[in-house]
Formats: sequence, C-alpha cells, structure tokens
Amino acid sequence: MNILLQQPTIIAPNTVYHLKQYDILIQNGIITAIDSSLHNTDAKIVKAHNYYLSIGWLDVGTQVGEPGLEHREDLESVSKAAMAGGFTAIASFPNTRPAIHSRTEVNYLKHFSADRLIDIFPIGAVSKNCKGEEMAELYDMHDAGAVAFSDGKHSVQHILLLTKALQYVKAFDGLIINYPNQSNLASDGQMHEGAISTQLGLPGIPSIAEEMAIQRDLTLLEYTNAKLHFHNISTATSVEIIRAAKAKGLNVSASVAIMNLVLTDETLLDFDTNYKVLPPLRELSDVEALKNGLKEGVIDFITTHHTPLEVEAKAVEFPYASFGAIGLETAYALSNMHLGTEISQEQLVQWWAYHPRKRLGLAIPEISVGSLANLTLFDSNATWVYEEDSIQSKSKNSPFIGQTFRGKVVAVFNKGKWMSFL
Amino acid sequence: MPTIQELSTPHLLGIKYLSEDDIQLILETTDNFKEVLNRPIKKVPSLRDLTIANLFFENSTRTKLSFELAEKRLSADVINFAASSSSVSKGETLIDTVNNILAMKVDMVVMRHPAPGAAHFLAKNINANIINAGDGTHEHPTQALLDAYSIREKMGDLIGKKVVIVGDILHSRVALSNIFCLQKLGATVKVCGPPTLIPKYVTTLGVTVEHDIRKALAWCDVANLLRIQLERQTVKYFPSLREYALFYGVNKKMLDELDKKIVIMHPGPINRGVEVTSEVADSEHSIILSQVENGVAVRMAVLYLLATKRGK
Repeated sequence: MNILLQQPTIIAPNTVYHLKQYDILIQNGIITAIDSSLHNTDAKIVKAHNYYLSIGWLDVGTQVGEPGLEHREDLESVSKAAMAGGFTAIASFPNTRPAIHSRTEVNYLKHFSADRLIDIFPIGAVSKNCKGEEMAELYDMHDAGAVAFSDGKHSVQHILLLTKALQYVKAFDGLIINYPNQSNLASDGQMHEGAISTQLGLPGIPSIAEEMAIQRDLTLLEYTNAKLHFHNISTATSVEIIRAAKAKGLNVSASVAIMNLVLTDETLLDFDTNYKVLPPLRELSDVEALKNGLKEGVIDFITTHHTPLEVEAKAVEFPYASFGAIGLETAYALSNMHLGTEISQEQLVQWWAYHPRKRLGLAIPEISVGSLANLTLFDSNATWVYEEDSIQSKSKNSPFIGQTFRGKVVAVFNKGKWMSFL
Repeated sequence: MPTIQELSTPHLLGIKYLSEDDIQLILETTDNFKEVLNRPIKKVPSLRDLTIANLFFENSTRTKLSFELAEKRLSADVINFAASSSSVSKGETLIDTVNNILAMKVDMVVMRHPAPGAAHFLAKNINANIINAGDGTHEHPTQALLDAYSIREKMGDLIGKKVVIVGDILHSRVALSNIFCLQKLGATVKVCGPPTLIPKYVTTLGVTVEHDIRKALAWCDVANLLRIQLERQTVKYFPSLREYALFYGVNKKMLDELDKKIVIMHPGPINRGVEVTSEVADSEHSIILSQVENGVAVRMAVLYLLATKRGK
C-alpha cells in the first residue's frame, strides 16, 4: 500500500522538515520521499494540509486486560483504543492474570504485537504476581524484551525488595517504575483528603501517602545509584521533592496522568465513580503545580492511565467501586485543550512520543527518507463528541462520555500498516 | 417564615443540598404535624395513596421505628426490608434489590446504607423519591432537622446560638448534617473531641475546634453529644472508653460549674457513663426525649412535603 500525505505540518525537531509543510510518500511502510510537491499515481492521496504529522505516540503504563481479564479489555481492543488515541505503541503494565512476571508472558505480548500495527512493549513485574514479596525473574524478562519493571498499579511497599530490585537491574541498565503510595496511610481512602472529602464524609487519601513513598524511594535510589521512574504523581509537594532530587543528580523521572492534570476533587461532589481514580484527583493548587512541573521538565511525560473496568465495578455505591478510568482515546484532546495556549503541538509531541521513549531507552522513530513510517497524523482544531458507541475499548468507564473535544487523531502508521479515522 | 410553598428537590439526600428556605419550610410543617401527634386521633390521611419502602442495609432501631411511625401516621402503606450490608454486597447489587422492590409499585424509598453517597446513587438510578436515612459517614439529614427543630423549640431561634458537637466527628453523619443545618439556620458551630476523631480539614466547613470539653461547654448554649461509634473504627482512635469518659464525657459537676444553663442533646442510643452520665441524661438540661418525639413529626413533614411535590 502506498500513501501520499499532502502538505501536513511536520513535527520533527532537529530536522529540516520541522514545522514546515511537505508531501510525504510512504511505500510499503517506508518513507520513500519527502518534498515540497510529490506525485504518485499508485498512492492513496491524503489531503493533510490542516493536519500535523509526528512520530507515533507511546503510552506508558497501559492496562491491557489480557491475559485473564478479557472481560475488561483484550489485546485486540486495547490496540484499537490506542490507535484511535494516536498511539502506535504502548508500554503495558503487568497487572494481568497471570501477571506479566516471566519470559513466557513477555513473549505472549511480544508475539501478539509482532505482525500488528501497534507495538506492545511489556513492562515486567518486579515481584511474582505483583504481590510485592518475592523478586520476579527480571533479567530473563529483560532478555525477552521487557522494557522496564514495575508492579504496576500496586505500589511496591517492601523496602528490601525495592532496594534489591533497584540494585539487580543495574546489571543491564534496567529501569524500575513505582507508583508512589504508602498504602497503610491511604488504607481505606476513597478520594483526596481535603475540604471535599470532609464534606462528603468519605475517607481521604492524604497527599503525604504519595509524598512519603517518594521520599522513601528516593532514599533507596540514592543508596543504590540506580534508575527510577515515578508513575503518575499527583501533588504539588511531590513535584518539589522530585525537582530537588533531579537537581541533586539522581537518575529519577516522573509522569503524570492526564486526568490529574486537568481535573480536581470537586468533580466527585456528585459521587460519580468515573472520577474515582488513583492517584486521586486533588486540588486546584496541585493541578497548577503539576502543569508547571511538566512545563519545567520536572515531570517528564504524560500518561493516559488507561484502566478499563467492567460496568459492574463502577455502577455501584461509591466506596465499593474500583479505582480507574479508560483514557487512551481522550488523552490527546484533553492535553490539547487544557494545558494552556502557550503549549505548542511540538511540546505535546515531546510529552506523548519522545520523552517516554527516551526514558524507556527505546529507539526513537524518525521522519526521514528511508525510515520506517511510524507516524501519527492529527488535527489540533477538529472538534468532536466523545460518544459511547464510538469507544474502541471494551470498557466504557470514562467520565467524559458526551463531552465535546478539540483535537483529534486522523491516522496512525506503523510496520507497513495504517489505520485512518477520517 | 419560609418564602416557598414546596421543596426545591424531589429527594432528601442531605442537608447540603437544601436551601435555608427548604429547611424553614420543613420546620414550619413540622409544627403542624407535632400538633397532629398530640391529638386523640394521631393519624391523617395525607399519604394514603402512597406506598413507602423502608430499606435498612445497616442496623437501626430508633430511626427505623421513627420513620415507620411517621409513615403510618400519614396513612401510607409501608413495607420494610432489612439486610446486613455484607449479605447484600456478596450477592445482589443495590440497584437490583431496589428495582425488585420498586417493581411492586413503591412510590418512595427511605434508605439507610453503610456507603457514603448510596442515596445519590439510588436517586440517579431509580425512579422514586429517595429519603436518606443515613449513608455511611456522609449525611443523616432527618436527624439534623429534628435536632434543629428541638433546639428551636427549646430556645426560640437558632440565629446566633452556639452549638458544640462533641465526640466522634470523623465517623459521624450526624455531625456533618448538623453542621450544615445549624449553619444554614444561623447558628455557630464548634466541634470537640480527641484530635484523632476530628477530621483534619474540618475547619473548611466553617467550624472551630476545641479539645477541652470544659472550655467547649463554657462556650456553648447547646451541647450535642454524639455516640461513640466503636463499630465504625478500623484502628484505635483512643485507648479506652474509660479514658474517653474521663476526658470527654459530660457529668453533672461540669454543668454545675457553668455560670449558665446549657441544653444537652444526644442522637441516641446513649452509652450511659461514656458520652454522658445518667444523671445528666435524665436531668432538666437534657432534651433527649423531645428529640425522639420531634423525630416523628419532622419525618412526617419531610414525607408529606416530598409527596406533595410528587403529586405535581
């Protein structure tokens, strides 16, 4: 299949094409020509003069459901959801049944994505079954293609295990990802502890549950001199702690979930369980600090925090509902709408495509003649309504259904395949 | 006097969601029903076309009795459902349970449930008027209304009155509803108890905090002593009931030392000798039994007003 993209604005920093409009010819999955005007009678023509073109985006920490939780999501459905959201790759979390905790499960995911558009980069479990007790076979998983190690939604609480894991992966320059949460401080918490939780009579999750976990993990990081990423921080103080740790020279990075960047705990005033997520939605001052932290480079990238859940886990009384919301298909539009007009599309692409790959040590696709076409084509001005019927994910647990968004993915390209959403 | 003729809402989910006018209307209407309750024939036909389901997913004696009596005095048909939350959560969902009951053509639902927000959940998902009879640690609106009514009855008005709520504020729906209700009616509210039982952000509700019971009593016109809810505590918030009674319990000597006469309230059931000594509970300071009596009239008023709105 040959495709001729006519005149998209190319986002490819450090190239001559950057922020300019060119025709791009893709033949059999390879970029074969980039020029001011191209003609090819065999190619499907895509008029793209209103669109941006960047390398394909990557989401870190996606919950994929398969194996074992296919009633929520399977690899096929999560792939469709990812593509609709502009992602040509996901680095998936290991919270499946069984967990992704040995070579076998890593191979299962790699095998699935081998001949598909989407690249699935498995994040292997730090501990067997993500239970936080016994170290999983990290080296073997690394050898099989695991790109990092994390117990995913389960924060590693066992200090000795975390210390040993940080040390052990140094043999192959591995990265540990931890969701920072001191679980016994947040034990029965249902939402951010603050004025709103007080009004609603709901047990709170104090900000210090996250901040203490970060302090503790940074102490271990300094001791082990290893590499650590904090998955989805949510408080203003967390930003400051990480800023100081980076200034000190520690090899630490952090991400923030898109919902935590754009929403506050006030959304819970009506007990809507679709806003019940972890880390919890916090206060406006936290949201502002997270945005600033992102703009200043303290926070390295954004995640969709895609957490599919069946309706039975959400359409229940608030305290009985599970934490999480789907996010792949709405993430770009939210980032496009809520991060301020001073944020350029180039900056968004840095957060959605370049920074996550850099941190995971993955090869960064290029937009150049001769390169494999791993691309996302998107329209930053298109408005659209997020309809439940259009959701590609098997689960529909999103608080945004029915809302109008600005910014839409037009097409994705990877491994000789393309998917258009025109 | 209320300036409105009907409530602004089809449900009573919490005091938070009522206007001051709504509350005044309920209190005025309660006056009428209190008069009914003192007649030789204590029954009126107002709700004779309606069927009300009392769903109690959490233990209750007095609230359930009070609602049932109020419903019967209004001539409603009444059905009762009681289940421990654990047996329900293991099997049928709340929506299914309630829809099954509604399929029997029930018009209004009175529900007590251990989950904060459960009444909201029901109001969003089923077609009936919902009255929250206590949802976990969130709200217990009819208790706050009957407390406000009882204070008003005793003291004339709430504007400028000082009310201290003593005890387990952290786990108390009564405290939360009382704070909202008293403030909307113009009273000033303080909370008092061990720091572990006071929510960290409680002052965002516009209340002040005191840990010394004697100072709190000296400040107030009314002391509302909450039941110590040992059943809601997952960890130890204080070492022993003995120590609680020593440092937060109210006894006669404390009241005698005050240079004024304050009113003592308790939502019940009382742990005699813990929150309050028997001597105080049974004294002239106490309006505890008036609260119980007023509870029926307040609930009649709420049921009547919601039913009136329903009819339109």
